[in-house]
Amino acid sequence: MAIVAQTSKFSTYGRPVLAWGVGLLFFFPIFWMVLTSFKTDADAVKPEFLFFFTPTLENYANMTQNYDYWRFATNSVITSVFATLFSLAVGIPAAYAMAFNPSRGTKDVLMWMLSTKMLPAAAVLYPMTFLTKSMGLFDTHFLIIIVLSLINLPIVVWMLFTYFKEIPKDIIEAAKMDGVNTWGEIKEILIPLAWGGIASTALLTFIFCWNEAYWTVRLTTIDAATLSKLIEGNRAPEGLFFGRLSAVSTAAVGPIVVLGWFCQKQLVQGLTFGAVK
Amino acid sequence: MSDRKLPRLLQTPAVLLLLVWMLVPLGMTLYFSFIRYVLNSSRRPEWTSPSISNWRGFGNYEFVLKSKDFLLAIENSLIIVCSILFLTVILGIMIAVLINKTFAGQGIVRVLLISPFFVMPAVNAVLWINMILDPVLGLQGIAVAGINDILDGLRAMPVLGGFFSLWPDLAPISFRATQTSAIAVIMMVTWQWTPFAVLIFMTSLQSEDQQQKEAAILDGASVWSQFRFLTLPHLGRPIAIVVMIQAIFHLSLYAEIEIVSRGNGNKNLPYLIGEFANNNIGAASATGIFAVILANIVAIFLLRMVGKTLME
Repeated sequence: MAIVAQTSKFSTYGRPVLAWGVGLLFFFPIFWMVLTSFKTDADAVKPEFLFFFTPTLENYANMTQNYDYWRFATNSVITSVFATLFSLAVGIPAAYAMAFNPSRGTKDVLMWMLSTKMLPAAAVLYPMTFLTKSMGLFDTHFLIIIVLSLINLPIVVWMLFTYFKEIPKDIIEAAKMDGVNTWGEIKEILIPLAWGGIASTALLTFIFCWNEAYWTVRLTTIDAATLSKLIEGNRAPEGLFFGRLSAVSTAAVGPIVVLGWFCQKQLVQGLTFGAVK
Repeated sequence: MSDRKLPRLLQTPAVLLLLVWMLVPLGMTLYFSFIRYVLNSSRRPEWTSPSISNWRGFGNYEFVLKSKDFLLAIENSLIIVCSILFLTVILGIMIAVLINKTFAGQGIVRVLLISPFFVMPAVNAVLWINMILDPVLGLQGIAVAGINDILDGLRAMPVLGGFFSLWPDLAPISFRATQTSAIAVIMMVTWQWTPFAVLIFMTSLQSEDQQQKEAAILDGASVWSQFRFLTLPHLGRPIAIVVMIQAIFHLSLYAEIEIVSRGNGNKNLPYLIGEFANNNIGAASATGIFAVILANIVAIFLLRMVGKTLME
């Protein structure tokens, strides 16, 4: 019983304090970035203005002028949205087939799909550059959309598969009896029933596309360059532009971090393929 | 159309796309790895376009194996991945156990904790290496300068000053340097991925058998043995999954390494490939094949470990 008393003492005082400490520690770098974004470039590197300073919005106002932010942001939105849609369009039928009409090979196909994620992107860097340049696709939205949707396709199929598996097969069977065709089953039954799962798959895929930092950097120059490329190009401001760099970074990650808060649960199910519940 | 054919047809686009996406570039890499192929050469212009007549056999592989960067890159890849895995799993379990019980503001702490995971890698690296770790202008520099100022003040004290003047000034560490850049990368990636581990372990802890735990408490089991014999075994599968997923992502780390030091002293395999690809495509491709082999070894090992639990 002594142990129980001990733990409860820790639970009332120690645990909340320690937990809040850890939470604040992990959030601190983000807080610091947001705070710095409201300082002028000059103030941002002065120790006397560490926490107390005159806040300014000039870094945000000058984002277009300093970094051409909106062009990169538009590219990020276009490529992420269309890549998400495309991977869903390819992934939904595939996951549907695997979940409701599994064959002996289904497990192997799923495993193989997952294994393509393990292929190091860098290994095919030059062929990709070579192929896309010779096809005139280098630095185009089309290319980035295709690449982003393909690198996320395995995860999309896996996630959808785990959601679809939970739909009772009887419902689909009943629809079949009623003479509904496959397209009708997907459109009228599957999508409405698995809407939550599809939405969280889409959300997570969108986040992954937005944050992708290998192909979007290596296969673009200007026209299709995303926010990753923009930030990567300003990697070493040598302290001169901490304020403005913080502002553009905050603008680049802010929406996604907030979006992420809303899909924590889906993240677990999605990234562990339903194996952790 | 028969009932059996249609399902197969429905998954054809996905399978076909992935197959093409995987096989075509990989096939080209394999081909380039066996020929002499450079982007610029005034001495041997015939090597600047891929051709079977420039066949080199395993020459590129030999060249890569002999280059001093290659073993370093493999070593670095493994050191970085293993350190991150070790740190995120340990920290993840500790934090998950800490915040799993109800306390005031649990929801907010969760939100604070998970946030780093959604920060794009490029921003993560730029933020850490500049605003936080810079030896002069970052928080590190400011903190070190502050501590040194305090030391100066203490040294000026009448009696105790003599004691403090024995202490040396703190020197800030440059994390862009050869010996330290890997540490910076490990730090920033650990910061980003610990939340992921926490989230998964926490989800798993919620399904822990509470009755078993209560029985253990009644039997007088210590907090440690409850953790060791009940919680830890329960976390076996989530740990395996956290390890697998992170290994996939971290073996191909690139942006962080590029931003921290442009690979100075800290190249991993993807980075080395990128460097070779600036001119020597043959060597870049051979390195790529080595990277594929390494990834496959890791993948086979991990899928063995996790694959069965995924399919249940």
